[in-house]
Amino acid sequence: MERINIAPGVYLTRLEAEKFNRQRISIHFQFPNQREDATAAAVLPLVLERGWAECPDMTQLSRQLARLYGANLGVDATLNGGNRVITVDISGIKNEFALDGEDLSAEYAKIALGVAFHPYLIQGEFDPEAVEIEKQKLAQRLETEINDKRLYCVRQARRIFFAGSPAAVERDGYLEEVPQVTAHTLKKVYDRMVSTATIDVMVQGGDADKVKKQLESCLAGLNRQPAKLIENLAMPVTELRHKEEYFDMVQAKLCMMFTWESPMTSADLNAARLAMSLFGGSVSSRLFLNVREKQSLCYYCASTCSTMTGAMVVDSGVEPANAKKAEAAILKEWENLKTGEITDEELEDCRRSLLSGMDAVGDSLEGEENWYYMQICRGEPLVSPSKGKEALLAVTREDVRRILKGFHYSLGYLLTRKENGYETL
Amino acid sequence: MKPYEQAARTVEYKTLTLPSGLTVLIRPMPGYSAVHAIYATKFGAIDRDFKVDGKEVHLPAGVAHFLEHKMFESEDGDAFAKYAKTGANANAYTGFDRTAYIFTASSKIDESLDVLLGMVGNPYFTPQTIQKEQGIIGQEIKMYDDSVDWRLMMAMFQSMYEKHPLRDDIAGSVESIAQITPEMLYDCCKAFYRPENMVLALAGNITEKQVMDACRREGLDKPSAPVKVERLMPEESALPWRREYEISMPIVQTGFGLAFKEQPVEKGNLKREIIYDLLPDLICGGMTPLYRRLYDEGLVNPEFDGETLMVDGAACVLFTGESNQCDRVLELLREEIQRIKAQGIEEELFTLVKNQLYGEAIVDMESVVDAASSMASAHQHGRTLYDGIRTLAALTKEDVDRELATMLDPDTSVVVKILPQKS
Repeated sequence: MERINIAPGVYLTRLEAEKFNRQRISIHFQFPNQREDATAAAVLPLVLERGWAECPDMTQLSRQLARLYGANLGVDATLNGGNRVITVDISGIKNEFALDGEDLSAEYAKIALGVAFHPYLIQGEFDPEAVEIEKQKLAQRLETEINDKRLYCVRQARRIFFAGSPAAVERDGYLEEVPQVTAHTLKKVYDRMVSTATIDVMVQGGDADKVKKQLESCLAGLNRQPAKLIENLAMPVTELRHKEEYFDMVQAKLCMMFTWESPMTSADLNAARLAMSLFGGSVSSRLFLNVREKQSLCYYCASTCSTMTGAMVVDSGVEPANAKKAEAAILKEWENLKTGEITDEELEDCRRSLLSGMDAVGDSLEGEENWYYMQICRGEPLVSPSKGKEALLAVTREDVRRILKGFHYSLGYLLTRKENGYETL
Repeated sequence: MKPYEQAARTVEYKTLTLPSGLTVLIRPMPGYSAVHAIYATKFGAIDRDFKVDGKEVHLPAGVAHFLEHKMFESEDGDAFAKYAKTGANANAYTGFDRTAYIFTASSKIDESLDVLLGMVGNPYFTPQTIQKEQGIIGQEIKMYDDSVDWRLMMAMFQSMYEKHPLRDDIAGSVESIAQITPEMLYDCCKAFYRPENMVLALAGNITEKQVMDACRREGLDKPSAPVKVERLMPEESALPWRREYEISMPIVQTGFGLAFKEQPVEKGNLKREIIYDLLPDLICGGMTPLYRRLYDEGLVNPEFDGETLMVDGAACVLFTGESNQCDRVLELLREEIQRIKAQGIEEELFTLVKNQLYGEAIVDMESVVDAASSMASAHQHGRTLYDGIRTLAALTKEDVDRELATMLDPDTSVVVKILPQKS
């Protein structure tokens, strides 16, 4: 593994991929998420994925990828706390499997860098027809958000919990603002991305030196002024709020949000991992064993936490009439971990499961890339998964308690039938 | 080297049949840390009626899935608790025609194999443990009741099939699982959890010796007592049970499905299976003119898709999506199907879709999970992965055109809509 600085805020990381059948190139653009252009930023990946200067037509691009034996091209947006990450990635089989001796590596690099740095423009702006089509797709996605009730419940809870913070800016933008996105505003957000983002290009397999040269050529015309990224954040402690929304649904969804009050640091990461595994992140967790298996209060009941936002989320699918009972049971398990006994056995069971997962990181291209890119996002020195295991092995019971004690319960969001709302429970 | 030979070498693995009848598939993957293991039986949600050693058994819906949950319990404790001691990440799943128990682990592999083989080989059920599971599975059933995609798929099966068990949910219903008894579960184990009906597939950081030693510890190296099993599948008409069906849910955009009830694919007809795999991409995949038109006119979102299903006694082709103009989408889809049936598929599109499937076969052998899954799945379909590559290489556009001429008959189609609930 090697990471080199190519230009201001531009890095290339080379990762081993000898044992894999595929090769992969990812280009990550990370930049502060802004409320004012969030909707345009949400349209951008959809338009970029349709094609690029040398292959503007989306059907032709699909055919080109199929010709490369089903190479997979993606342009996706994710949020890292208050920052937005737009990733262009391509993966496909290695040259040795090509049936006609094609140089697949060169084709992959050309497409990925083309999509990222040479979009199809008409008179300096994105194709207005493509923009209108993709705006419609985004609007549809936003309108149909309620079709997946589990996801919808978590999103609604996050909206209230993060209100007023950079983490509240929606990844998919805002339905009412979709009509205002134009080929011109889209180009503005694209220009902001390529000039101010921290750019990380990760090359797994293929010819990294060639990719480096091609990348340098892509950067040549850009006025690079990397922006300062938004640091880890945490929401203030508030009075506990309960919100509910009614649908004619069979299973109710309950999302509970907790704040750590002050921003977490990289030093908290491994303790947080173990704390989540113990609380609700594994089949050895208290929520799985006690709330689901022993009390049958929910079908799923899982906890996750993000060091970037200092937030812990517990989401569960519960019998509508049992929502309050499930909430109390979840809080009881949290309380027991904070103040009661944590046995060596359960602590080590959870640690063992996490260690096993870390061992397997290097067994997939995506897993390995994600391992290193997350360290880059957290601003940490890059260490291998085996080094990461050492840090996890050092986490103590008290470290776990410190993490769990640091959370404050802020919000319970319930999606249920009208007759089973909090008011009537 | 001839084209496809490199690929054929990439999908190699060792196949062994033990004296007990168990088939073992092993693919050591140098450089990998983890092992993925699958212990699967050819017993799924559609296996509802059978004879075992002359005894006729009729199961309520959901037994295979219920049994999958119960297998994690034994007299000496819960399998998850045992896996927790090895660090393995374990799970299980039930499909229409199979049930699989899996783990991924990077240490204490021998111990994890003992847990896997032990939990499936030594079932233990009591009325009390069955009752407890009914609560958890009841919650799972309710979760799926709120899933638009699942409701749509089940409504299509229920419309196509009058008697075939595909029409019942894999997990059953709260009422059907209430009828489950320990005796039923033991009958299923006797009939379908016998070694010759099972496959053990492993890929990753594993040796043949490790696997054989684990099988020996579980007694799978010895002949097992013969059991006579006869599967009973109801006679099903070639035509759909009902042509149209509508339900409503709290959603904002209509979900739709167009399904074609096809003749079941005879066992061993790999060419036909592969043609089924190619069909959705040939008709409505991202490279087709139909997809482009529907997409550009805003008639569908990127989730619009086609898929196929082939199980004992049933085969079907399904197209699903969401749209505010689903009647228009259905009209265009039907027109395109008729056009392709009449004119044949486009030569270039056929080559590209075939190329894609070739790439997928290579990619599937890259991860320990996908490799073991592909190996087990191929075995349960009575073939090897090499057979798949070889048949794909020989497939021609004419083969597909010929097959298409007998498929996708409008008279065998059903339409299902999930409408937004009126407030």
